[in-house]
Amino acid sequence: MNNEKTFYHEYEIFSKRTPSSAFQHQFSLLAPNEEMALIMAQENFMRREPVADIWIVNRKHIKRMNAEEKMTLGRLENKEYRTTKGYGYLKKKWRQYEQEMLDEKEILSWGGERK
Amino acid sequence: MSDSVMSPEYTEAVKNLLFQLADDDFMYSFRGSEWLGLAPHIEADIAYSSISQDTMGHAAMYYTLLENLGAGKADDLAHFRPASERRNSILTERVNGSGYYLETPHYDWAYAVTRSYFYTQAKKVKIDSLCESSYKPLAEIAVKVRMELYYHRLHWETWFKQLMSSTDVAKKKMNEAIALVLADFGDVFSYGQQKVAIESNGLIGSEEALKQKWEMSIEPLMTSLQMQMPKIPDQLVKNGRNGEHTKDLEEGLTTLSEVYKFDSAAAW
Repeated sequence: MNNEKTFYHEYEIFSKRTPSSAFQHQFSLLAPNEEMALIMAQENFMRREPVADIWIVNRKHIKRMNAEEKMTLGRLENKEYRTTKGYGYLKKKWRQYEQEMLDEKEILSWGGERK
Repeated sequence: MSDSVMSPEYTEAVKNLLFQLADDDFMYSFRGSEWLGLAPHIEADIAYSSISQDTMGHAAMYYTLLENLGAGKADDLAHFRPASERRNSILTERVNGSGYYLETPHYDWAYAVTRSYFYTQAKKVKIDSLCESSYKPLAEIAVKVRMELYYHRLHWETWFKQLMSSTDVAKKKMNEAIALVLADFGDVFSYGQQKVAIESNGLIGSEEALKQKWEMSIEPLMTSLQMQMPKIPDQLVKNGRNGEHTKDLEEGLTTLSEVYKFDSAAAW
């Protein structure tokens, strides 16, 4: 592979529809440099849609995952504590405490004595 | 082998090995959790904490196997057992550096990286072997743990490589850390007094075989970094597998069990 000597490079094109939206990967194209890639991208692929910004990235500047690195993506399904659903029981628990009788015993326990 | 047809001797050997595996991951992840908020930058902090949580999850699976074998409640096994009953390697119990978490922690990142890399590589060797364990429930857990080890191992190998290829100061700190880690590495591949029972029942590969696999597994990186191969000491100062521990473990256990002991009947 001797990409440096080829005239064309592969560029990955990202764009966003409005100034506040996120960039999305759109497509790739061949061009001799970034400036050419930009004008190609704009007229070839975005003439029917509103565009607020475009990013051009030479594909060789993208760090990709090889097969071995993709092995690192596996994960065990034992991490409910990382998601909101892992705390679904709190609502029930909260309700239970709200409904408990506010009796003398309970109030006295606030003084630090054990119930 | 399934639980129903196990001889008492076999069950004893399984339990002993499980305590070693569980206590290793439990203490390693506790020390990892003490880095929360202190790692070199925020993304490193999150990634390390995630790894510690994963590892705590692995310990929980081993403790649950022990619970199923009648050794007691998993949470109690993790929190209540005194230092003399713990079977972790002394490497995993060592403090992260001078100072305490809540006051002036001067922790050593080079030590964290080196301990983590060498430990995770050793864990990988053990897990690969455990996937073939004669005790089926353990082999099944090993297959699961292996899934998360790819990332843990790559994470620490990358840090190790980066720091070893960095400035002279970084290299000096790393070499000091390697000496500290190796001094405690003698019991990592030891099964202590349980060696014969654990090995002869086909629960996991022999101490010697795993040690050799570990050396082979890190050799390519050591060569590429033009480093000497680390030498695991033959003479042990203390063997954690026999319940011999440093005072770091006692202090660590007091800290980690404080909340659980405060009200052990509470539902969390």
